[in-house]
Amino acid sequence: MSPNTWLAIIGGSSVRNLAKVSQRGFTSYNVSSQFARCCSSPPSSAHRRLERRKRVEMAGASGKKEKVDKAGPSGGGKKKKDVKKETGLGLSVKKDENFGEWYSEVCKHEMIEYYDISGCYILRPWSMAIWEIMQTFFDAEIKKMKVKNCYFPLFVSPGVLEKEKDHIEGFAPEVAWVTKSGKSDLEVPIAIRPTSETVMYPYYSKWIRGHRDLPLKLNQWCNVVRWEFSNPTPFIRSREFLWQEGHTAFATKEEADEEVLQILELYRRIYEEYLAVPVVKGMKSENEKFAGGLYTTSVEAFIPNTGRGVQGATSHCLGQNFAKMFEINYENEKGETAMVWQNSWAYSTRTIGVMIMTHGDDKGLILPPKVASVQVVVIPVPYKDANTQGIFDACTATVSALSEAGIRAEEDLRDNYSPGWKYSNWEMKGVPLRIEIGPRDLENDQVRTVRRDNGVKEDIPRGSLVEHVKELLEKIQQNMYEVAKQKREACVEEIRTWDEFISALNQKKLILAPWCDEEEVERDVKARTKGETGAAKTLCSPFEQPELPEGTLCFASGKPAKKWTYWGRSY
Amino acid sequence: MVAASLRLPSLTSLLFPATTRYPSALRRTVFLRNRAASSGTTASPETKSDDVPRLRSDQAVTPRSQDFNAWYLDVIASAELADYGPVRGTMVIRPYGYAIWEAIQDYLNVKFKETGHSNMYFPQFIPYSFIEKEASHVEGFSPELALVTVGGGNELEEKLVVRPTSETIVNHMFTQWIHSYRDLPLMINQWANVTRWEMRTKPFIRTLEFLWQEGHTAHATPEEAENEAKQMIEIYTRFAFEQTAIPVITGRKSKLETFAGADTTYTIEAMMGDRKALQAGTSHNLGQNFSRAFGTQFQDENGERQHVWQTSWAVSTRFVGGIIMTHGDDTGLMLPPKIAPIQVVIVPIWKKDSEKTEVLSAASSVKEVLKTAGIRVKLDDTTERTAGWKFNFWEMKGVPIRIEIGPRDVSNSSVVVSRRDIPGKAGKVFGISMEPSTLVAYVKEKLDEIQLSLLEKAISFRDSNIVDVYSYDELKAAISSGKWARGPWSASDSDEQRVKEETGATIRCFPFEQTIGTKTCLMTGNPAEEVAIFARSY
Repeated sequence: MSPNTWLAIIGGSSVRNLAKVSQRGFTSYNVSSQFARCCSSPPSSAHRRLERRKRVEMAGASGKKEKVDKAGPSGGGKKKKDVKKETGLGLSVKKDENFGEWYSEVCKHEMIEYYDISGCYILRPWSMAIWEIMQTFFDAEIKKMKVKNCYFPLFVSPGVLEKEKDHIEGFAPEVAWVTKSGKSDLEVPIAIRPTSETVMYPYYSKWIRGHRDLPLKLNQWCNVVRWEFSNPTPFIRSREFLWQEGHTAFATKEEADEEVLQILELYRRIYEEYLAVPVVKGMKSENEKFAGGLYTTSVEAFIPNTGRGVQGATSHCLGQNFAKMFEINYENEKGETAMVWQNSWAYSTRTIGVMIMTHGDDKGLILPPKVASVQVVVIPVPYKDANTQGIFDACTATVSALSEAGIRAEEDLRDNYSPGWKYSNWEMKGVPLRIEIGPRDLENDQVRTVRRDNGVKEDIPRGSLVEHVKELLEKIQQNMYEVAKQKREACVEEIRTWDEFISALNQKKLILAPWCDEEEVERDVKARTKGETGAAKTLCSPFEQPELPEGTLCFASGKPAKKWTYWGRSY
Repeated sequence: MVAASLRLPSLTSLLFPATTRYPSALRRTVFLRNRAASSGTTASPETKSDDVPRLRSDQAVTPRSQDFNAWYLDVIASAELADYGPVRGTMVIRPYGYAIWEAIQDYLNVKFKETGHSNMYFPQFIPYSFIEKEASHVEGFSPELALVTVGGGNELEEKLVVRPTSETIVNHMFTQWIHSYRDLPLMINQWANVTRWEMRTKPFIRTLEFLWQEGHTAHATPEEAENEAKQMIEIYTRFAFEQTAIPVITGRKSKLETFAGADTTYTIEAMMGDRKALQAGTSHNLGQNFSRAFGTQFQDENGERQHVWQTSWAVSTRFVGGIIMTHGDDTGLMLPPKIAPIQVVIVPIWKKDSEKTEVLSAASSVKEVLKTAGIRVKLDDTTERTAGWKFNFWEMKGVPIRIEIGPRDVSNSSVVVSRRDIPGKAGKVFGISMEPSTLVAYVKEKLDEIQLSLLEKAISFRDSNIVDVYSYDELKAAISSGKWARGPWSASDSDEQRVKEETGATIRCFPFEQTIGTKTCLMTGNPAEEVAIFARSY
């Protein structure tokens, strides 16, 4: 069988799709293989070993200097930067100079590992711990709302996948197919879920009978696969990612509407309270809403460095569209058959990417204390004649005092690295607070704290260690949010005309514009701004609307404006 | 032409006919015959609430004593633990079943972290070439591999395996992360789904896709790896005994039954209610097999390059099936309190409307009291069912304790407490005070008693069904009477194979707990070091 027929069969049901798929098939085939090759060349292990050995040696050498210069090798200055490079510490690019490269370097530093399959990444413990902390929070919150966890299969039979046409047009091109088991071909290729609406809803149809079966509120934590060919970016856009997907069914639209916003509020809290990333809550445009749904709400973040919006998480009201397709009916109190109202909502490991982009700096990652798996790192700073054991003991005692108080603390007592090397290493990993203990600290019964977010140093008495550290961590969390919010707000530009729009877009602004809310106009804006860096589109219409004076016109169409909407390029 | 073998149906035929409510995969008769038990629309309310009618015949599960397999499938359907998935051999884990899995996760995840393991996540897709690197591994898994060959509308350059287990990808990465002895031990775990394209499937026990945790570690010495493998099987053993009241037998697998690519496999083997064995968890000492195949090396303290020593270990949603099949009776499920999603169900009972308010308010205050004390409690205050129906329903769902509150109880400010594991009047105690501290103490004590009693019952069932055998004939007799056979064994792999072919039984393990004294192999009469346990298994 020729590959073309093969692809055609799997690619879609309509003749139109057939043509599209087989056409796409072999043009992008080569592109993708090239892609795979260039994304999958980790340095040879021999090279890495060499580098590591060198790093250890250099670290030993620079150790002596460290005692003089507490700021560590990352303190700046040309000479030090050279040292940094040779020791393998620090980043080779600055966040403002080459954001893409910077992001990739920061991610590679123990957050993620690149893998032989392009667009698939390994989540290392350092990032997995962040995911687990968010998971713990969100899971408890939805359980309070009486949502229950469950698990639906990874595999989707093509029949169900195609049930909802609009929905499927959105996802079909991105589906990965299992076509073989062992050596034999499957009779029918089986899809891997890109999302689970079509897997779950036949069961909703089966399980929901009467009004007493409602509301049905289920959630699952799982992986999904979207075989995209656009530029993969760790966390932000990967072919496989982890998420939760909630799917609920109600008797009335009012209940569904209410839940959409409750969930959206939880998403806002994840971003603002945990990740210290400011977001805007709002409504998606008709063009940007979830395919097949009634309306989509989202929390939108903004990355000032690239001037791009990021859809942080979405909470959809699906209306009755899926209920109709999948015949999810129930008998109401009056004995009549009625259709349910549905919602679905999800957030993914993308959250971690947004956090990295928002807070990282030229020294590496900065983790908000609430999600950091290590909130405080304690580093001994011994002088050659000092009481080394005393210092080490003080470090251990500090860690136990903090751990007992529920603070996630760790000591770094490794003897093959200098304090300076450790400072840089933990700064790169983004630990919010560093505690240094040297002979003088021991003498004065104090420790030195150094904040990762602003570098502020402070000597605190060991007597009030726990209270001080708790307070500092709260301050760091708060400050990170404030700083991020200021940066974002500095990017917001309110515009009225097309010219202002274009100029703001070129300046990487987060554009707030009066809009007529017409689909065609948005499509037109997209077409007119299409360029190498992607077209501009609506991000959301914020729930908090500034006043829209009578007679305000749409910046793009000149028609009367209906609302203020955020526009920009996006991830 | 290759196409012939594909026999792809037209895509339209895959769409459901407009007349069906759900796909044919969901309409399997065994699974659906009891769905009325869970549907909210078919019941006719009983008028008398004090008597305890049995479930209507169409709601009852097949008695366990009558047909174990039918009972198992009925319980899964009626207790809403799971449903068949849309693709053959897959399953949907419903909230009540998933909550049991969450209880397993909560316990083990803490234990893993306490013993120094970190969680992480590896991709689900593995390049086929990785799988091929370890020869016995590929041989063991290749018939069961699900392969992705098309993604995003394009044929892929290299076919990708949907992970059946992650040793290969883990080793590929360990090779890049491990350089010196300072990087060791490296100890990680992941919670993930895995896929094995099995032909004969059964909910929870064997499904195409299942959920599990897989731990992977790398060590500098063989001793450390061996200790780790033993430590993890020990954690599984304690979990089985203490949390799930399953008295597993821990031991070592025979060479034939060892994991593809391992030097040694340790296992916990559980006896199900039908006396078949269930492998409930395994821990493998991988030796240097994978590290040699993948070149996973480190520099030791003397500057020498060495291959690392590894382990891997896993427990899956199969354990949920093990819990169902270990406990339970003709009426349905019987969940050990420690992992029961609902530990106590409160059923309020009233006859007249005038009684309703006070009974319900007493019931909800009892619920609050228990909830505050950290007990997982459910108040069934629905009005469309009789108390009797509710009794049966929650018994079938296996809730360990039921609390009944009626008007008389309210005026005495006491409650009636019934134990799931002791049916009828014998398990029922009247007049337990509602006073919070008394009630909480009483319920907690009962929960502990039930937990212990389930374990004791399972131990005596297990021990009365293991026969010590000294000859092949005795072994055959034991197996054919459905029991486990325990006997000295030092015979060859082909003898072991022969036992399997002739009796259907395999060596489940060489148990850690061995009998003392000299032994002669039951098959060959040669001296034997150890006894082995033979059984038919899932």
